[in-house]
Amino acid sequence: MSSKNDIINNIRRHVSTEYDMPEIRVEAVKFDNPVAEFLEISRSVGGDAVMLKEGEDINTFIRALYPKAVTVATNLSGITIPSFNPDETDDPHSLDGVELAIVKGEFGVAENGCVWIPQNVKQKALYFIAENLVIVLDKNRIVNNMHEAYERIAASDYGFGVYISGPSKTADIEQALVIGAHGAKSVMIILY
Amino acid sequence: MSTKHAKSATLFIRNREQEQWHNETLWFVRQKRDNMAMRIPEWEDLRELAGKIKMHTVSRLDFYLEMFSSEAERNGITVHWAKDAREHNEIVYSILEKHQVKKLVKSKSMLTEECLLNPYLIEKGIEVVESDLGERILQLMGEHPSHIVMPAIHKKREEVGKLFEEKMDSEKGNSDPTYLTHTARRYLRREFLTADAAMTGANFGVAQTGEVVVCTNEGNADMGTSLCKLHIVSMGIEKIVPDLKSLGVFTRLLARSATGQPSTTYTSHYRKPKEGGEMHIVIVDNGRSEIKGDSEHVQTLKCIRCGACMNTCPVYRRSGGYSYTYFIPGPVGINLGMLKCPGKYYDNVSACSLCYSCNNVCPVKIDLADQIYRWRQNLDSLRKADRTKKLMSKGMKFLFTRPALYRTVLKMAPAINYLPRIFVYNKLNAWGYGRELPRFAGESFTSMWKKGKIRKTNKQ
Repeated sequence: MSSKNDIINNIRRHVSTEYDMPEIRVEAVKFDNPVAEFLEISRSVGGDAVMLKEGEDINTFIRALYPKAVTVATNLSGITIPSFNPDETDDPHSLDGVELAIVKGEFGVAENGCVWIPQNVKQKALYFIAENLVIVLDKNRIVNNMHEAYERIAASDYGFGVYISGPSKTADIEQALVIGAHGAKSVMIILY
Repeated sequence: MSTKHAKSATLFIRNREQEQWHNETLWFVRQKRDNMAMRIPEWEDLRELAGKIKMHTVSRLDFYLEMFSSEAERNGITVHWAKDAREHNEIVYSILEKHQVKKLVKSKSMLTEECLLNPYLIEKGIEVVESDLGERILQLMGEHPSHIVMPAIHKKREEVGKLFEEKMDSEKGNSDPTYLTHTARRYLRREFLTADAAMTGANFGVAQTGEVVVCTNEGNADMGTSLCKLHIVSMGIEKIVPDLKSLGVFTRLLARSATGQPSTTYTSHYRKPKEGGEMHIVIVDNGRSEIKGDSEHVQTLKCIRCGACMNTCPVYRRSGGYSYTYFIPGPVGINLGMLKCPGKYYDNVSACSLCYSCNNVCPVKIDLADQIYRWRQNLDSLRKADRTKKLMSKGMKFLFTRPALYRTVLKMAPAINYLPRIFVYNKLNAWGYGRELPRFAGESFTSMWKKGKIRKTNKQ
């Protein structure tokens, strides 16, 4: 506790000009068609996003995208392709080798292609350890910008939550962009 | 007399090709930042707002830190306070020791670089694995970052290829970045799976909710923290933002300013320890609270470590991060170094052309160049002013305050044009080094004016 007191007291000792908290009211960018913007930005950050067509079956769609994926993990009840429920494992390490994870996103952000996922699986490792990630998202849940995004989550009580925008990437070797650093090598967002 | 920066920069620019690559690559990142900024009509308002939120937070830092720590504790997180680097390292080690951690996997944290945590832990027998690709490359080479966001920007792919041949058993002669990155992915995956604890820095600490926000593109912070039961966060006291609403302003600015991306791939919000696990936050001062009382330099506490000031700086781009003597290079590093220890890091204040480009790109509007100017004005009181330049200044003062002498000297000046080079370009003339002097005119303006050679021309 003494270090805490020392630090706090030292901060107080240095009386500086007090600055008021500015009012955060930003005339932020809004889009005529947020869904179209979201789809475009998602593609530009190395990921992919599609709108499921009327009457199109999501299982057929995913199967066609990943015909060879054997180890598929999901806890979503609507997914009928052969898969296992990752929530049955107590050890996140056992998820290494998952070829495809199918998870649900809460909402998307048009300005940067982010999808908000408050932890909705038992092992959050699933979002990062899977080779490929499919995020299923309600097309009516696209906000314009991060201000609207944080307004949405202001009242929610998550232990962990993450905005994901595209696949894992790095440019640490000569600034050459490489997809698939540590997390998912591909991210597909399916709007329905 | 050259500063240490100038001497190291001389070595850096000896490799012309590398210098040009470094300059152009960082300028390209700056251009990507501009493209992003121009897509946001309210960009300048955001910068203004971000700067104001930070100044407010800094001025009430005691209040927000207490709010942050009590909220975090309420969420089940253990909060520690470290006055300095030593205390920080001791706290981290004591947590690791308690959990009998043998292997620690880390994501990028400039604060742990500042505290020299890695050598400390390694000395204690803990295996420390940096997991950000650039950081890992440098760790294996035994070097430190030359840029705070792109740590290995000074390395060529061939050097990385050679390193990986030796350390990761990669193909001989293969220096393709995709191949090398995927090799590191496989190699580091094993490290993630066998680590006992994970450590991250913090991009933001949200006072209202007690959560920590970490931004990465690689996903390495999340790989580590979601596999290990123990998560330790190192966070400087200046990382606090008041609430989620403010956070929205900063997450819009950070990646756009840093790398020209609309967002980092992962923006992770850690609010509670994972089920059955533990989360610790070490709040570190290490000299920061002193800066609050320094009205000329308090604005450095607004920094969100995006690196935009480095990418735009003509001196940084052409001299590289290692030319600076402080571990954070570029405009913000010059200031942070001086705040840490002016007697030790004064060499860096000369690494600035006062072009003010850094001020104009900084997402939180820190007066970076103004501060550098102020440090320079104070160099003499630190007894660190360049002796040759001081002598020259004295000479000029003597000359400029004696009009008769000045006129005589001016009349004679054109003779310099005809002197052999050795008399002008030598060690006594610091300004003649590396640049050509302008030619003295045959006749001065004053003399021409008096002879009526200058005529007023009326506009219109």
